[in-house]
Amino acid sequence: MAEAGKVAKQPQSRTFQCKNLHDYLKTLPGSTLDKLYNHPTTCLAVYRELPEIGRHYVIRILFVEQPVPQAVVASWLAQEHSKEHTEVIKVLSELRVWQEAAIPGGLPGWILNPIFKKNCRMALLGGGKANCIHSQLDADSKPRDIPFLDQYATERWECVLHYMVGSQQQEGISADAVRLLLHARLMKRDEDDGSPVITREGFQFLLMDTAQQVWHFILQYLDTVHEHNLDLVECLTFLFQLSFSTLGKDYTTQGMSEAMLKFLQHLREFGLVYQRKRKGGRFYPTRLALNIAAGRTSAPGDMEHLGYIVVETNYRVYAYTDSNLQVALVALFCEMMYRFPNLSVGILTRDSVRQALRSGITAEQMINFLRLHAHPRMIAQAPPVLPPTVVDQIKLWENERDRFNFSEGVLYSQFLSQQDFQVLRDHAQEKGVLIWQNERTRTMVVTKGGHDDVKRFWKRYNRGND
Amino acid sequence: MADEEDGNEYRWETGYEKTWEAIKEDDDGMLEASVAEIIQRAKRKRQAERRPNTRLGMMRHLYIILDSSEAMTDQDLKPTRQLCTAKLLEGFVEEYFDQNPISQMGIIVTRNKRAELVCELAGNGRKHVDIIKQISQGPCAGEPSLQNSLELALSSLRLLPGHASREVLVVMGSLTTCDPHDINVTIQKLKAEGVRCSVIGLAAEVKVCRQLSKETGGLYSVILDDCHFRDLLLQQVEPPPAARTQDCSLVRMGFPHHSNGTESSDASSASSNNPMSFCMCHLDVESKVDSTKLGAAGHLCPQCGSKYCELPVECRACGLTLVSAPHLARSYHHLFPVDNFLEIDAKENQQPRCFGCRRKFVELDKHAYKCGACSQIFCLDCDIFVHDTLHSCPGCTSSAKNH
Amino acid sequence: MAAMADEVETSLLVIVVDLHTRQRYLRDQPSLLMHVLDSVITLANMHLMLKTKNKVAIVGCNASNSEFLFCDADAIQPQPGQSGQSTAVRQSDGQYEIFAHLETTVKQNIKDFMQDEQSTFFEDKDCESLIAGALTLALCYINRINKEKSAGENLNSRLLILTGCAGGASQHMAYMNVFFTAQKQNIVMDVCSLEYELGLLQQGCDITGGLFLKIPQLQGLLQYLLWVFLPEPPIRKKLVLPPPARVDYRAACFCHRTLIDIGFVCSICLSIFCKFSPICTTCNTVFKPPGSLLPKKKKKQIKNVC
Repeated sequence: MAEAGKVAKQPQSRTFQCKNLHDYLKTLPGSTLDKLYNHPTTCLAVYRELPEIGRHYVIRILFVEQPVPQAVVASWLAQEHSKEHTEVIKVLSELRVWQEAAIPGGLPGWILNPIFKKNCRMALLGGGKANCIHSQLDADSKPRDIPFLDQYATERWECVLHYMVGSQQQEGISADAVRLLLHARLMKRDEDDGSPVITREGFQFLLMDTAQQVWHFILQYLDTVHEHNLDLVECLTFLFQLSFSTLGKDYTTQGMSEAMLKFLQHLREFGLVYQRKRKGGRFYPTRLALNIAAGRTSAPGDMEHLGYIVVETNYRVYAYTDSNLQVALVALFCEMMYRFPNLSVGILTRDSVRQALRSGITAEQMINFLRLHAHPRMIAQAPPVLPPTVVDQIKLWENERDRFNFSEGVLYSQFLSQQDFQVLRDHAQEKGVLIWQNERTRTMVVTKGGHDDVKRFWKRYNRGND
Repeated sequence: MADEEDGNEYRWETGYEKTWEAIKEDDDGMLEASVAEIIQRAKRKRQAERRPNTRLGMMRHLYIILDSSEAMTDQDLKPTRQLCTAKLLEGFVEEYFDQNPISQMGIIVTRNKRAELVCELAGNGRKHVDIIKQISQGPCAGEPSLQNSLELALSSLRLLPGHASREVLVVMGSLTTCDPHDINVTIQKLKAEGVRCSVIGLAAEVKVCRQLSKETGGLYSVILDDCHFRDLLLQQVEPPPAARTQDCSLVRMGFPHHSNGTESSDASSASSNNPMSFCMCHLDVESKVDSTKLGAAGHLCPQCGSKYCELPVECRACGLTLVSAPHLARSYHHLFPVDNFLEIDAKENQQPRCFGCRRKFVELDKHAYKCGACSQIFCLDCDIFVHDTLHSCPGCTSSAKNH
Repeated sequence: MAAMADEVETSLLVIVVDLHTRQRYLRDQPSLLMHVLDSVITLANMHLMLKTKNKVAIVGCNASNSEFLFCDADAIQPQPGQSGQSTAVRQSDGQYEIFAHLETTVKQNIKDFMQDEQSTFFEDKDCESLIAGALTLALCYINRINKEKSAGENLNSRLLILTGCAGGASQHMAYMNVFFTAQKQNIVMDVCSLEYELGLLQQGCDITGGLFLKIPQLQGLLQYLLWVFLPEPPIRKKLVLPPPARVDYRAACFCHRTLIDIGFVCSICLSIFCKFSPICTTCNTVFKPPGSLLPKKKKKQIKNVC
């Protein structure tokens, strides 16, 4: 019996899940969802997160008051896409966007969640109560323009990232933020002196694009809202409203509850909103906040300051940047060679990539990172954005570490005759449960699932022989 | 020789000469404005070159003579001359039929001192692309024969009615040609028949090719690289001015109905009117049975009732050219081009935005462009778009005063 | 993490609305125009609702003019220090800011546009709007948006025409130029006709791969728009939509504007005539008489076959 260890693909399972909005909402209880749908902006955000076909389904029945027969809905999509149809139906039901309802004839039908329907229409056509964030009526004496806000947001966000990388040149971040980083398991307390150090997940986090980072961060924050005595629904609603506000416009804090003002201060710390003064009474949302609801559908190169990385087929990586953080990120998996005022040059080597792999970054993440931050010149000559040789090599280096494939099994050995062995082996092969066999030593390994069956066969076979 | 060369210089070789002298720093020491202006001027230069409204040979009959000699295996174009040429020709064929919808094209291949007609004059671009793909897989051997190929093309072009524009385009990789007789006689014959021969050389200038194109009124050019090659091919897409020998005539053409089994109001009579039938264009393709189109849908020749599944086509039964109205309309813009816009200084421009695309005029725009007819102001990009692609002025078409 | 794998596709929808006041459906009931406009605005907002990055523009046209009613120049522009303008009205209800802005802007622009029309009043019995002109504007606009997009961004653009007018013959050339330009630039053109079967525009739909739909009844306009014209071309392949209509591709002769089966085409300018004339009226070419032409041509064809 050879009982192999359960080392099944440890690195893969460790790449943490950055849930999208849909995955997150699915985890919320139905009552919370219904409460969320009470606000038009939330409906809008959820709507945009639906699969494309689903969005059209919703539109088609948005103005229909009675339930629509399920058979009719199914006929909207061409036959060959029925798989997609079932997928969409599942999503719509999971998010409680629509519910099953019987139509008078007794046929099963779909009807939109009434709260969702009402608020979706409201977002579209108007009516109802105003949002809790209003645009400011009197003009700001020192208005801020979009470039300023972008710069501010980037600075604030990079401050967090800097802290994670450990480059101490920036001002520190608040205790709340550190607690959040620890909670998100992006950093952990060092065993010796208790100071936070970055974890495997932290490395992976660094290589994500900003929109994903923000979203992941927000998710972690939402997990801890109760500690701050904030209401989850209220926070989410505010976030969604924020994400549907206009960049460069100022909004007033009037009419916001005490809890929300506190929430606003937290958002301010991460650069999601800009406030000149804490009690200034007005705030500007930044691009980071606007991208929350856009989630993964945000176009690349939007918030990202233009791409800065050039990768050549000779494995050299040129980073046109003066930011320490960006250089540090590249240095996670490159061997840095030169540093100039606006350019750093590194080279991808087997050692540097393996170093990164050891710290928990996957090849896919490195490649994605390079692709995401590719210099516009590289994008212009795409596809492919990156030299295929480099991409393949990085993957090969990863595979190098995966030379063992572990599969659990049961060893059969010490057969008395060659014929016994052959019969059993052929049987196992037929069933497709044979993993390995050696005729000379008369040993074979059968999968765990097939073990019972083979054992039974063996008993029967033996009895028959007797 | 030297004086002939002058007009043939590549556009940017002249346009960008001593560009560094033209660049001047502005007050802030920036070059941006100056560079932008040079780029703008180069973009517009193409327009100025457009010929004024001349009579054009719209019904073109073009033979492409494709060198398949050993010289085409050279690798100076990547991956080889032959493959690169085939790739570019595919694009050319598409563009040609797009711009010259009722024109025809044939292909002649020359190798081993022989000329072979691989594609008769025909008006369906898809077939040509298939054949070019086949050729690109075929062998390249021996020497080409320019004379044999030209004679072959001539023997076919000679039969065309007088109103047709006859053209030959030679793509020549070899520097030599192996001919049975005096090629000058052939050239004179071509000239007499009004066949316009253009040559694109892939290697270096050859006297006899220049002679050929000069005598027959065509263009001769030698490529610099593959981009230049493509530009040269695309030059051939625009219909050439009509040759003097070309007649003008009214050509009878059919505009077929699209017949479909359910066209008629009551179904029973429809099915009796339109029984299932084979289309004429796929009759001879016996090897590919499945591509034979048996069905009620198709275009019926208004004269004899033969059915075709694609237009334009010449009816095999009665010889009538069958086209659809948009086919003809596709080439109208060659005949009614939009007049060039006037360049005005940005300071004179009162409009804050371009009339076409609603772009705000910014400081970098040194010039604006004004349509002479409707006096609307456009930006450079719209100016180019209107003249190169759209072919109608947004200002004139969107205001009733100009109708 | 395969977020980058699925291409980010944005969609630009340019709606051309016919605002001709003498469209037949408006003669009996002028108030219907409001109904149509509301439907158009809702469609535009729905399009924006589909994806964050979607863009929309609206062009209006009548017999004397065509003009943008909404484009990116009208988008909410936070102008620091000048927020006292009309755009900075506080949102009074639950409508999404951008949607509300689009609605007010379009309505305001239409008001200006219609006032212009009344001032340039003139007799026009055929009821023909300058749709082709509006389309050229739209194409210029699309061309710019296409140029301005960042590298790697995927933009698909389409046109939607809403009209209750019949004609189009006098703008034939402009229409054709628009169709072929759209085809070349992969711009799908849809037509929603409120009244007539429009032969010319049907050809355009067919050429560009768009849909043509004549609305059976005006009351349900919005539902038709949402069902048929809201889905973008890539997704239309998956949905079950009305089949494309068969299009009559017969030509209209230049002399009498009648549809013909067999006609004569000038070899120089490709003008179409229904019977032989000695001089081409378009390009003034003198033709050889047909007597000498036809037999000669036939003989040659026989030779050709041999």
